[in-house]
Amino acid sequence: MEGPKILFTIPYLNINVTETVVDTWLVMAVITLICIWLTRNLKVVPTTRRQIVAEKLVEMANNLVNNTMGERYKFLTPYIAALFASSIIGSLSSLVGLRPFTADLSTTLSWALLAFIMIQGNNIRLNGIGGWLKGFMEPVPFLLPLNIVSEIASPISMSFRHFGNIAAGMVITSLLYSALAALSRFVIGWIPNEFVASIPIFQLGLPAILSIYFDVFTSFLQAYIISMLTMVFVSGVDPRN
Amino acid sequence: MLEKAIVLAASAVGAGLAMIAGIGPGIGQGYAAGKAAEAVGRQPEAKGDVTSTMLFGCAVAESTGIYGLVVALILLFANPLINLL
Amino acid sequence: MPFVSIDVWTIIMQWGNLLILMWLFKKFLFKPVMAILDARNDEIKNIYDEAEAVKKDAEELKNEYDSKLNGARDEAEEIVKFAVKNAKISSDEIISDAQSKAASIVERANEKILIERKKAVNEAKNELSDMALTIAGKVIERQINSYDDKRMIEKFIEELGDVS
Repeated sequence: MEGPKILFTIPYLNINVTETVVDTWLVMAVITLICIWLTRNLKVVPTTRRQIVAEKLVEMANNLVNNTMGERYKFLTPYIAALFASSIIGSLSSLVGLRPFTADLSTTLSWALLAFIMIQGNNIRLNGIGGWLKGFMEPVPFLLPLNIVSEIASPISMSFRHFGNIAAGMVITSLLYSALAALSRFVIGWIPNEFVASIPIFQLGLPAILSIYFDVFTSFLQAYIISMLTMVFVSGVDPRN
Repeated sequence: MLEKAIVLAASAVGAGLAMIAGIGPGIGQGYAAGKAAEAVGRQPEAKGDVTSTMLFGCAVAESTGIYGLVVALILLFANPLINLL
Repeated sequence: MPFVSIDVWTIIMQWGNLLILMWLFKKFLFKPVMAILDARNDEIKNIYDEAEAVKKDAEELKNEYDSKLNGARDEAEEIVKFAVKNAKISSDEIISDAQSKAASIVERANEKILIERKKAVNEAKNELSDMALTIAGKVIERQINSYDDKRMIEKFIEELGDVS
């Protein structure tokens, strides 16, 4: 099982650009094109199904953020939408043969770290540095190390959860593919023609059934979970909630 | 060579052992799903809420299992121990 | 790259990617759709306001018409009452006129009758006196002094009594 390949290296800076990043650019381009296509030629009285879909998406994002975080965090809606969309389309990109970039720990860790920064930043913004530091001493100062560990554990757990689910799906799918290839080889390997004998006939339809669970369902669930957790944690430090 | 083989074998065993962690989330999620089924049985009109809450809770409860999985994956595919030899 | 790996540059680039995607979302999805939703809300509000205003106008008009209608009804009633009163007055007048006329006619007729009767009586008296004169002349068979006769006959008629 290989990790993301290094596609090219930016000269002088010596930065490796991996498959992950390039896939992300592709996904971003696709998402942006979809957005532009959806919002083309909007009218006050909707005449196209496209516009209804666009409005529905925006409304769903607004409702999700409003219901989970409250009216005050409306400005985070585009961030949550971007997180959700890139997570889900990144995970689903395995269906078109790309390496899902959410199966790279760097991606999920970057999102979780962003969430961590937002959580702590929101905490400091609302409670002040004193309140933020005091929060680690609660309920008793004795629990200080545990609190610190639990704070640090949340981004790790978030990133590992997302990464683990998608990577496990990937591992199982590739295991299944190789097993099916071996099975095909076992069943039709006796055919003298080398080319025909090497056709993995069992890989044709069977993996699609498993990929419904491992790719589609898990992708949706993990995208929902990571955006939900981000929202819950960020708004969870708000003493007004 | 022998050391490497020992480390690799131990890593493989360790990966297998790490996946024992899968028991916990399995039990926990099964329990959660059972409770959710109960809740839906009692209040069928709240099916959507119950389901989303259950999925959310399951995904969070899965963490420990995922930790085990990540450890196993590291041992199998990105073994740090082999470099220590 | 190993399967489970953390690459700092990838993390940084993924941050950038996510933030750029967020900006793209804001620019290409949220801004236009929210603008259109706001425009729709404004329009709906306008329509509602207009409908409210129209309804208010209609209500005012209705009230006006109602009050007008009531006024007209009162007026009509008054007119009818007035007409009835007028009619009564004129009919009373006519009746009393007629009554007085009739009374005068009756009076006049009575007078006429009286006169006629007197006239008739006088005529009858004259005739009678003439007749008496003739009869008397025949009876006594002589021409008496007309003056004396006449006196005597008139006296006789007087004695006959007043017929009337």
